[in-house]
Amino acid sequence: MVIGEMKLEGIDILTLEGRFDAHTVPAASKWLEEVTAKLPPQIVVNMEDVNFVDSAGLATLVKGMKRSRELDGNLVIFGLQQPVKIIFELTRLDKAIDIFDNEDDAVASFSQAYVDVN
Amino acid sequence: MKSLKDELRVAVVTTHPPSMGTLNEYGFHFVKALRQKPEVKELILLVEELPDNQQYNFDDGGAPVSIRQCWRFNALNNATRILSAVRQVKPDVVLFNLQFATFGSGKAAAAIGLTAPALVKAAGYPTVVLLHNIMETVDLDSAGFANSRLMSGLIRAFGNVTTRLLLRADLVALTIPKYVEILERKYGAENVILAPHGTFETPPMPEFELPEGPMRIMTFGKFGTYKKVEELIEATDMLRSNGHPNVELVVAGSDSPNTPGYLENTAQAYEDVGGVTFTGYVPEEEVPRIFEESAVVVFPYTSTTGSSGVLHQAGSYGKAVVLPNIGDLSELITEEGYAGEFFEPGSAVSLREAIARVLDDPERRVQMGRQNYLASCGLPIADVVDWYLLHMQELIKDKEG
Repeated sequence: MVIGEMKLEGIDILTLEGRFDAHTVPAASKWLEEVTAKLPPQIVVNMEDVNFVDSAGLATLVKGMKRSRELDGNLVIFGLQQPVKIIFELTRLDKAIDIFDNEDDAVASFSQAYVDVN
Repeated sequence: MKSLKDELRVAVVTTHPPSMGTLNEYGFHFVKALRQKPEVKELILLVEELPDNQQYNFDDGGAPVSIRQCWRFNALNNATRILSAVRQVKPDVVLFNLQFATFGSGKAAAAIGLTAPALVKAAGYPTVVLLHNIMETVDLDSAGFANSRLMSGLIRAFGNVTTRLLLRADLVALTIPKYVEILERKYGAENVILAPHGTFETPPMPEFELPEGPMRIMTFGKFGTYKKVEELIEATDMLRSNGHPNVELVVAGSDSPNTPGYLENTAQAYEDVGGVTFTGYVPEEEVPRIFEESAVVVFPYTSTTGSSGVLHQAGSYGKAVVLPNIGDLSELITEEGYAGEFFEPGSAVSLREAIARVLDDPERRVQMGRQNYLASCGLPIADVVDWYLLHMQELIKDKEG
């Protein structure tokens, strides 16, 4: 479920908790739709307290990431628990989505991207 | 941030209607979804040759499609013809939509055709194989491929070689986690990934409220081997005589081919129990009514082979389910997003209690129905295609260094 959202240095942070599956994705999808309406979307998803993710949860993150990148932004995630990390590896989405160990690194990735571009 | 190529020319080796080849429906829906993706600039279909009076047709919606009819079912030169076609059209990436008998019913044609991904990869093109089955899980006897142990062994040996050839592709996508596990363990494969099958259509939202009348417990399937109804009848009898007089049981379906006469014998043995209906074979058009009238669907299984098609059906009708606590079934269905009440197989009392937990809590029953409906909707194929495109873009990026 979605348990919180905040803004830090122009970056939108979504915090998820528990199971991220077909039953809990609608709230996250709605939030992502709203946030990706702003340009450029810079999104960090905190998954430290997510203990399960299914294909619907993964698809939501992929869609958010694709939409963000189409608009010259990005969606990154951090804090994967081991069982969740295994799902990302099994689907190889860990190669496609930028994953960080902690929030500081995830947030810093956006300033790094800014440096890279300029 | 990762920068990815966003104007792809994608070649897809597949069956596609009007070809009647296996996976043609999957090919149709996959291609349809692929065409709608903004990062796809052009789609080149490397498809089966059609008879003179047939042709492939595509509307104007989405990315342009060009057709190369470059292989023929049961021909022995399909792999080289596909390679030649790829070299002519020079796509950014090639996707193969395959199962083991895609290129032929004959063993030689089927096996030689499956060398195509290795040839295309060797020619320098990023290659992704979507493999719908693996030899390790095919029952060769039932599938009609082998009629003796010797033949079965020979086919498996060829299957091992063919699988190794398929694994020469850059990426092999499988639709079931167990398949990934088998190929990783048996072949040491590091390029196999899980990509869900995807659903073609979302079932319409069902009614979660029950029709007027008795509360129906329903079980559906072919009975007599590992699906047995004795305990379910006993559990229903206990419910009827202990606070649930309006409960009825519907046993929907026929005997398993291996146990002729099972249901008739069971009906006779329990003829004194009231409120039990044996429907016999349920025609397709009657299936929705049978499910819709049910308050709960019960799976009186003594063993399982994994997830169940009936569970998916029950979910699509928004039904609560009661399942046996066997092996990793609980874990499996939870992973697929379903919810159920569990009972201990062999105990009619445990089964009665599990059913009562559902019937006595209408809120819980509806909540389970909603959850099972959502689980049955699965992931739309358009979302699955997004995953493939990401993988393709990563492969291209890696090739380009």
